[in-house]
Amino acid sequence: MENLFGLLVGIAMGFLIQRVRASSPVVILQNLRLENLGIIKFMATTIAVGMITVYTLNLFIPDLLHFDIKPTYLVGVLVGGLIFGVGFGLGGYCPGTCVVGIGEGRRDAWFALAGGIVGALVFTLVYESLIAPLVALMDFGKITVQDVLHVPAIAAALVIGTIFLVVVKLLPTQVKRA
Amino acid sequence: MTSPVPATRSGMPAWASLGIIFGLVGAASILLFGPIGVSGTYPRLIGEAARAVDPAYAASNPYLVKMGSLFRAETFLVLGLVIGGFLGARRDRVPAPKVELPHPGHETNAKRYTEAFLAGFLILFGARLAGGCTSGLIISGMTQLSIAGFVFAAGVFATGIGTAKFMQAIRMGGN
Repeated sequence: MENLFGLLVGIAMGFLIQRVRASSPVVILQNLRLENLGIIKFMATTIAVGMITVYTLNLFIPDLLHFDIKPTYLVGVLVGGLIFGVGFGLGGYCPGTCVVGIGEGRRDAWFALAGGIVGALVFTLVYESLIAPLVALMDFGKITVQDVLHVPAIAAALVIGTIFLVVVKLLPTQVKRA
Repeated sequence: MTSPVPATRSGMPAWASLGIIFGLVGAASILLFGPIGVSGTYPRLIGEAARAVDPAYAASNPYLVKMGSLFRAETFLVLGLVIGGFLGARRDRVPAPKVELPHPGHETNAKRYTEAFLAGFLILFGARLAGGCTSGLIISGMTQLSIAGFVFAAGVFATGIGTAKFMQAIRMGGN
C-alpha cells in the first residue's frame, strides 16, 4: 500500500515539476541568475503551505503523521549544500528534476542521471574513510526550529509560513528580460 | 522555447497555484507514508546492484547497509516522477526541447552532456553528504522545520547563484 502511495505522490510531483518548468535547466538557471524568481517562489510557497498544513494536522491527528526530521550534522549538511549548489548552478538539474526530465524526453537529463549514479557510487566507496568522520563533526541530531526557539511547533510554522508567503507575494517574478 | 512559469487560466500565477498544490501533496505524503525525498534512491540502486554482483562486499559496506533495500515507497516515488514528467509534457503544445543550453553564450550539445554529467555527479555527492536533496532537505526538511533543511538551502543557493553568475561571466567573456 505504501508503495502505491509513493507511486501516486511521485506522479503528482513529476507532473507539477513539469508544469511549473522546474525540470527545465534554462528556467532553473534564470532563477539562479536571479533574472526570474518563479521557481524560487514556487518552492517557498510549497514549503509554507506544507508546514502550515502538517503542523495544523499535527494538532488533531498527531499519531497519523509520519514525520522524519533530518539530523543537523552542521559541517556535513553545509558542505554538502555547497557542493550541491555548484552542480545545481552548472547543470540546472536536481536528483529529482532530471528524472522528470527523462519522462519529458530530455536527452541531457540522462547524462545528469548517469553522473548522479556515479556520484552516489563514489560517495558509497569513500563513506567510511572520508564521510563518516565529517558527519560526526558538530552533530546536533534531529533538531527543529521549535526545539531551538522553545516555541510551540504550530506557532513556528504559522510565523515562518506567513513570512514566506508575504515575501513571495512582494517579490517580483520577472526581474529582468533574459 | 520554454516560457518561464506561465500564468494559469484562473489568473493566479502558475508558481502560486502549483506551489499550493505541491505543498498539499507534500503534506499528504507525510500523512500516507513519509516525507518526499529522491536522492536516497541512487545509493539504494547501487546497493541492489552490489548485492547482485558481490553480496559479501555489499554486506560489509556500512553505507549500503545503512541505506537498505530498494523495495520501498521512495523508489516508487522516483518511478512516479518519470510518469508525471511524461504526462505533464503531453499537455504542452510545443514538445520539450531534447537538449537545452542553459548558460548564455556559446555552447554545444556535446559540452552540455559533459556539463550535465559533472553536475549530476556533484548534486548526488553533495546530497548524500548532506543527507538529502531539494526534495528531502529543502522541501520536506523545511516543511517539517528541521534546521538541517535551512542550512542546506543556504548552502545550495550560495554556490548555486555564484556558479550560475560565474558561468554567465565566463561565457559572455567578462562583464
